[in-house]
Amino acid sequence: MKSKTGFGLVLSVAGLWLAGLPAFAHHGGSDYDAQHPVALKGTVKEFDWNNPHCQIFVDVKDDKGNVVAWSIETYAPAVMKRAGWTRETLHAGDEVTITVIPSKKGNPVGMARKLVLPNGKELTGGVLGEQPPQ
Amino acid sequence: MRYGLIVPMAALAATLAIPQISNAQSASPKANREVPVSTVAASPMTSMDMSSFSGVWDPAPYMRPKEEVDPWDLRPNPKVLPPFTPWGKAKYDSNAKFIAAGAVLDCDPFGTARNYFTPRPFEVIPAKDRWLQHWEYYDNWREIWTDGRKISDDTEPDYMGYSIGRWEGDVFVVESAAYNGKQFLSWQGFPLTESMHQTERWQRVDADTLKIVFTFDDPKTYSEPWKITAFYKLKKDWVLDAHPCTLSAIKEYDERLNHADKLPGRDYAAPEKK
Repeated sequence: MKSKTGFGLVLSVAGLWLAGLPAFAHHGGSDYDAQHPVALKGTVKEFDWNNPHCQIFVDVKDDKGNVVAWSIETYAPAVMKRAGWTRETLHAGDEVTITVIPSKKGNPVGMARKLVLPNGKELTGGVLGEQPPQ
Repeated sequence: MRYGLIVPMAALAATLAIPQISNAQSASPKANREVPVSTVAASPMTSMDMSSFSGVWDPAPYMRPKEEVDPWDLRPNPKVLPPFTPWGKAKYDSNAKFIAAGAVLDCDPFGTARNYFTPRPFEVIPAKDRWLQHWEYYDNWREIWTDGRKISDDTEPDYMGYSIGRWEGDVFVVESAAYNGKQFLSWQGFPLTESMHQTERWQRVDADTLKIVFTFDDPKTYSEPWKITAFYKLKKDWVLDAHPCTLSAIKEYDERLNHADKLPGRDYAAPEKK
């Protein structure tokens, strides 16, 4: 998946920390492939706005039409708020497109990096720390 | 957390801290520190001085000098390592294995250094006789006493240590000691012991940028004092949010996500050695 410049930068920084998550995790444990984000189009089943990380559960149809239940985490609510998210950003039944960096295990688990809402509004997955000026 | 809650929390923290510190200074257990810090005196400051670093600061790891140890590098064995003593290197290697195995440190406070090197903001809240420093991640608090007191040799060791501050020109110098040695200096697992004497030299290099030069002097772990330079950006429109470390929330999160990823979950204990 090709990334826009800004998004790629976010991924590179996030990837550093995401790649380190399994080794340094205080929680979680999934090892994400920051170099190969995938865009998922599906229906939100549940949005859990809580520490330590928010979680989004989405039903996504695969190439064969089978429904795959994805479990997607985000950064903490504090970080997501600064990216424009609120606990009301997602609701069950919303049709959304979420770009995630997927688990290296190949399971339907990922870390959200970008969200496109039903109304077309786009939100990033947030950033940790200051980014270099463009 | 709305801003309205910050001030009451700060006041509460200050109120709660007074008897705690008082008790600590009268307690007899001594930190057998090798670096005497009792000669370091803080000097009273004016209200004008206090406002210099007030506000929310977000780490800017990209500004770090590339030749220094990189405290932001999460990978074990970064290119530049601190000047370990043999004991320090062995301890670091042990810590790195512990970390690589996915081990955790529960909700213990991070200590000051590791908090600084976590990519999340902190707030500086000046009070009359101290500055309060609040890290958003895991809601860690620290007091920097500015009333002229010294660090007593019998201060009870703690995760966050004991800190005093003074001005040297336009540089705010923070001296810290009385760490309990139960935390890492950084996410890589650089060790620290009760011998640690940490110095921070805070300076605003422009209106929005704070530079802090850290000196870590821990003769048990490091053969000589060593430095890290870190930068933080002022975020005028930010307020810190609530992100406490709550084991029940972490466990619930783990169970849902790890179950989905077919991971074994956690037992909140260090893994057994094979």
